[in-house]
Amino acid sequence: MGFLDVLTGKRKLAGPAPDRLFAMSTAYVKLETELEMTSRGAAAIVFQPLPTADFESIVRDMEEVVRATGKDSGTAVDSSDDQFGFRWLVLRGGDFDDLVVGINAVSGALEAGGYGDRVLCAVFAFQDSNKRPVYWIYNYKRGAFYPFVPAPGAQQQRDNERELRCQAQMRTELPVEQDLERWFPLWGIPI
Amino acid sequence: MLLTLFLLGLVYAVLIGVLIAAGAGAVTVAVLAAVLFAVQFFTSDKIALFSLGAREATPAEAPRLHGIIERLCIQANLPKPRVAIAQTAMPNAFAVGRSPKTATVCATTGILDLLDDAELEAVLGHELTHVQNRDVMVMTIASFFASIASFIVQIGFWFGGAFGNDEDSGPSWLVVIAVSAVVYMVSFVLLQALSRYREFAADRGSAILTGRPSALISALLKISGGMQRIPQQDLRAASGELAAFYIFPPKAKQTVASLFSTHPPLEARIAALQRLEAQLQGTA
Repeated sequence: MGFLDVLTGKRKLAGPAPDRLFAMSTAYVKLETELEMTSRGAAAIVFQPLPTADFESIVRDMEEVVRATGKDSGTAVDSSDDQFGFRWLVLRGGDFDDLVVGINAVSGALEAGGYGDRVLCAVFAFQDSNKRPVYWIYNYKRGAFYPFVPAPGAQQQRDNERELRCQAQMRTELPVEQDLERWFPLWGIPI
Repeated sequence: MLLTLFLLGLVYAVLIGVLIAAGAGAVTVAVLAAVLFAVQFFTSDKIALFSLGAREATPAEAPRLHGIIERLCIQANLPKPRVAIAQTAMPNAFAVGRSPKTATVCATTGILDLLDDAELEAVLGHELTHVQNRDVMVMTIASFFASIASFIVQIGFWFGGAFGNDEDSGPSWLVVIAVSAVVYMVSFVLLQALSRYREFAADRGSAILTGRPSALISALLKISGGMQRIPQQDLRAASGELAAFYIFPPKAKQTVASLFSTHPPLEARIAALQRLEAQLQGTA
């Protein structure tokens, strides 16, 4: 947002930065071998659906494409809405690389349809050696990853120390978000 | 509190200046300064604890606090200090005492409620590092030397004129007081810089003691409250709004004010701790 935009009150939503998403494919090697964090076999992409006709048809077409390619790799596609009104497209099964490719296909399709700025984030689910969930969230608007470790239990708590340690461990492999204030949690992740 | 410290020291310096200008001999002033220093040296910890309403806590009353401090003392090879608790919601922890044997570590009820065990251990490790580095004594002696410096300058000004050739009896008492005030102010700024360095050293000491620099980062973020913390607000609720509201960044950099603060800014402390964590993880 430039200064003139601030003065005139225009607001442009930031477009997606998909190019750094693929850093997760290479980073997965270190996550799995050195840090003993295995993928839970699921990844999701979160976007804000618009109630326009062509948005829904774009989403439907994109789901078909992902399902078709997913059949070869054994990836299943699932779609659901959450309480904030955002749509979750969950990919399960298959290779970890297939998940990354699938997520990228979804964001690519949305961007091609002109709705790239509606994409919020992608979530990759891992678990550590104690079976506790560790999520790496890719913020499309910032082009950076950040870790999210919900504390066990029903209340909305997060393990800040664990997250900071994850950041220190992966900072050379992934473009990690530098600004701690941008590490927004996602409560109630369905993967 | 900073203003109070500064003014208190200024009062000391001006008092000595007044005494000299009033004609008190150098020996009298030196004795007086030594007495004041001794009083400060031996009783400052009791005064500090008294002013906060801190009460000593037995292991039965505060088992969690005692347990954490004991483990840290074993790790740091320190004798176990006295443990006190202050009843206030403001989260804070500090250590007083001029040597590890006479030290007291105090935590407020606010911080005991706010932090979990790992974060509390990191904060207490920071305080115990202050004890181990004898920071209270270092800062007291450093500030004493600052007073001595201003004292010497005043003596030089007053008695140096007596060796002059002209009939004037030397600089007026106003000048003496002004000079001692200036010397004091300069040394105050330097003392704050020293204090900030000791804080970085204490952060580092805590990271080495606990082996978990990220726990200290997490504790600092919780204590600081306000804008600079890892957010609780869901990404879906936050997206889009924030950039629009803030024309000026929430954290405006303060350069002059930072000369006078006893602690380094939070971002600098967190950055230093993150570097330590990266070194620990082998990614530095």
